[in-house]
Amino acid sequence: MPYIEVLGQQIEVDEDGYIQDPSIWTPEIAKAMAPMEQITELTDEHWKVINYLRDYYMKFGICPMIRKLCKDTGYTLKKIYELFPTGPAKGACKLAGAPKPTGCV
Amino acid sequence: MAAEKKLKAPKKATEAELRAIHIKPVPDEEKPKVALELLRRYKDEWRSLVLAMETCVKCGLCAENCHSYLGTRDPYNIPAKRADLVRKVWKRYFTPQGRLFGWLVGAEDLTLETLEMWYSYFYQCSECRRCGHVCPFGIDTCEVTMAARRILHQLGMVPKLHATTGAAMLKSGNHMGLTPAGIQDTLEFLSDEIEEENGFRIEFPIDKPDSDILYIPSSADFMLNPETLKGAARFFHYIGANWTITTRMTEAGNFGYLFDQALVQKELVNRLFQEAVRLGAKKIVWGECGHGWRAIKMYYNTMADLPHRIPITHILDEAAEYVKRGLLKLDKEKNPEPTTLHDPCNYVRACGLSENMRVLIKAACADFREMEPNREKNFCCGGGSGILFDDPDMYELRIKFSLKKAEQIRATGAKVLCAPCSICKAQFHPMIEEHHLGVELYGLIDLVGRALVWD
Amino acid sequence: MKFFIGQVMPYITVTIFLLGLLWRAWRWTGALRIHNITLSPFARNWADTIGIILAQILFFWNPWKFDRPLWVGAWPMHVALAGVLGGHVLGIYFLGTQFTYIGLSVAASKQASVLLGQLIGVVFLVALLYLLYRRIAIEKVRAVSAPSDYLHLLLMLAIVLVGDLMRFLPSAELEYEEARHFLAGLFTFHPVPIPDNWYFIIHFLLVQILMIVFPFSKLVHPLGMLWERWIVNRPYQDTPLGLPGVRLTLSGPAGGSTGSKGV
Repeated sequence: MPYIEVLGQQIEVDEDGYIQDPSIWTPEIAKAMAPMEQITELTDEHWKVINYLRDYYMKFGICPMIRKLCKDTGYTLKKIYELFPTGPAKGACKLAGAPKPTGCV
Repeated sequence: MAAEKKLKAPKKATEAELRAIHIKPVPDEEKPKVALELLRRYKDEWRSLVLAMETCVKCGLCAENCHSYLGTRDPYNIPAKRADLVRKVWKRYFTPQGRLFGWLVGAEDLTLETLEMWYSYFYQCSECRRCGHVCPFGIDTCEVTMAARRILHQLGMVPKLHATTGAAMLKSGNHMGLTPAGIQDTLEFLSDEIEEENGFRIEFPIDKPDSDILYIPSSADFMLNPETLKGAARFFHYIGANWTITTRMTEAGNFGYLFDQALVQKELVNRLFQEAVRLGAKKIVWGECGHGWRAIKMYYNTMADLPHRIPITHILDEAAEYVKRGLLKLDKEKNPEPTTLHDPCNYVRACGLSENMRVLIKAACADFREMEPNREKNFCCGGGSGILFDDPDMYELRIKFSLKKAEQIRATGAKVLCAPCSICKAQFHPMIEEHHLGVELYGLIDLVGRALVWD
Repeated sequence: MKFFIGQVMPYITVTIFLLGLLWRAWRWTGALRIHNITLSPFARNWADTIGIILAQILFFWNPWKFDRPLWVGAWPMHVALAGVLGGHVLGIYFLGTQFTYIGLSVAASKQASVLLGQLIGVVFLVALLYLLYRRIAIEKVRAVSAPSDYLHLLLMLAIVLVGDLMRFLPSAELEYEEARHFLAGLFTFHPVPIPDNWYFIIHFLLVQILMIVFPFSKLVHPLGMLWERWIVNRPYQDTPLGLPGVRLTLSGPAGGSTGSKGV
C-alpha cells in the first residue's frame, strides 16, 4: 500500500492517491497532496472549496454533486478547474480526504 | 515471456478490496486448476455457454461488426477469437476431439498466461450483444464474457473499479456509496432547481410508505446526471403519481451483473424486493440504466431469494405509452437544438426499447436526427459492462472503442446527444471531449421533463 | 479392404454418426440453467420465432445483411449441399426418373438429372474453393481459424471433387442401378460387394470419414443453431403497462385536471 509523508507521519493512500481512512484527514495532508494534483500553492480560494467539501463529506458521508458545489461556493465549474486542474472529483474531493468515487462515473 | 506484447488490462483489486466483497484470492499455482473446476461446473449447467462453445463455425462475420475490433484491430477482440480463449481450453478438457487431437482442433492447456489474457480481453468486451445479433446462429458471445468474468472473480482477478463498486453496493445498496442523508440533501437541492426553472416546487418522496410506485433511479443521476432525476420527478408529478424513492436501494444499475453474477448482483435484487414490500409498492418503475434494466428483465427471476409478484417496468416504456395516447402535453420547442439518439445496447438488443425511445424523443424534440446505423444495429458507446477504466492504458482503449460512435455522432450534425443509460453517459462525458464532438449530453426522460406543458 | 469399406464400415459409421449426434444434443440439453436472454429482433409469439429461424435457415439472413462477401460463398455452398443430398436420394432411388413426376419424359428426366447434378456439383466446388480462399487470404477469418477448420474444407472439397469427376468423366461414371443395388443391400442389412469403381470407393470412404468426424466437430451447427435460437428468439411476454395510483391513467384523467402544478 503506497504512503505519503506528512509531518513525519506515514499516511496510507491508494494507487490513485486517495487516503484510505477519511477520518484521519488534516489540512496538512491536503497540503502534502496538492503537488500531485498540479497545484503549486493552496490559496484561500482553494481552502474555501476544500473546507466546504470536507464539511459536506463529514455531514453527509458523500461528496456533493458538482452543481451544488459550484452554487454553494459561488465558483463556476471553469473556476473550479482553474483551481484544481485535475477536476473537482480527482482534485478537490481527493484533497478534502474523500474516497475515490465508484460506479458509473 | 518478457518479450510478449504487453497486455492491456485494468488495475486489479487489492486483497483488501477483494476482502470487502468476500473473496479470498487463489494462489497463482492453483488458479488453472480452480478455473477448470468452475468451467466444468458451468459446462454442466449453463446452456448458453455450452452452445457458444460448441456451435461457432468460425465464419468471421462477428469481426467487423464489433466496435472493439473495429477500434483496436486486435485479433483477440474479434468476438469468436476472444471466445476461443475459453473455447480452446473447453475443447482440450471437455471434448473427445480436443483430448485426442490437441492443437489440430484448436485445443490448448489452461495456463496462468491464458488466464491473464482472459482478464485483459474479457474486460475489453462491453457485453453489447452486437455479435449475437449478427451471428448466423445467434450465439450470444456475452455469455462467454460473463462466464470468464465469473471465473476470474472467484480466482481473485477483478478490476479495482468493479470490486470497489461491488463493496459500495453491499454496504449502501448503490454503486456510488450514496448515503440516505446525501440522497436527501441532493434531492432537496434538485427540488430547488425545479422550483427556479418551473416556478413551482416538486418534492422527491423518500422512503415514503404506502407508495404505489417505487422508482429506482441510477445512483449516477445524483452526481453526474441530475437532469434525469428532475425529468422523472416532473413526469411523476404530471401524472399525479403516488411514488417514492428508497434510500436502501437507489440503483438502477447492477455492477454485480457485470462481474460476479452471484452475491453482489443478488444484494441489489434482494434489497429491491424487500423495499418494494416494505413501502407497499404495487409497481416498480426502472430508471435510465441499460445493463441494470437488462439484468432485472432477464435475470431477476433466478436471482431473488424470495418469491415476488410485483411487476417491474421501465419509465421510458410507461412514458411512451402516455405519449402514444396523446395524454402528455409536450412542447417540442423547449428542446429546439438538433438532437440525435444513441441507442444503448441493452435497450435495443436486449430489452426491445427502440421504438418507444423514438416515440418519446420525436414528441419532445423539435429537430430529431437518426444516426446511422441505428436501433438494434447501432454501435456500443464503448463503455458497456463497466469498462470505464481510467488508468492510462485502458483509458486509451476507451477512446478507441468509441471511435465508431464518434463518427456516427459527427455525421448527424447534432448539437445534443441523447443517451438514456448511465454507463453511456459516463463514457460520453469524457469521450465527447476526447473526440472533440462539441455536443451536450442528456438522458431521455430529461428531455421529456423539459418539454412538459403545465396548466 | 473393399469388403471392409463397403460392407462393414458403413454400419460402424452410421452408428457413430447417430449416437454421436444424440450424445452431443444430450450434452446441450442437459445444461438446464437458461436465463431469459431474448435477443433482437424480439419475437412476440411463436409464429415470429419460426419466421426468424426460417429466414436464417433459408436465406442466411444475417450473413446477407452483415457480411455480404461471406454470404456469397456460404449460401450457394449450403444450397448446393441440399441439392446434392436431395439429388442423391431422389436420383438413386428413382434411377433418374424423378422428373417424370413433373411431366418430363423418362429420357428427358435422366438428362435433367445429369445436368442438374453437374451444375450443382460445380457450384458446390466453386463455393467451397471460395470459402477456403477466404480462410487463407482474409485476415479476420484466418485469425479465428484452427487447423481443423481448414481440414473440414479440404475433406469436403475432396468428396465434391471426386463426385464431380464421376459426373463429368464417362470413365468414372457409376450407373444409378449399381448404386441403388449396393445401397439397398446396406439398408436391408444384406450387404453386397461395393461396385468396382475406384472413384466411387474413394467417394464413399471420404463421406464415411466425414460422417464419423461430424458429431465431434463444428459440423453439428445445424442442430446447434436450433438449440441456440430457441434460447434467444423465444417469445418474451412484456409486463403490461399502466401505472397504479396515478391521477392521469392511461385511459385519461381520473377526476381532476392533468399536469397541474399543485398536487
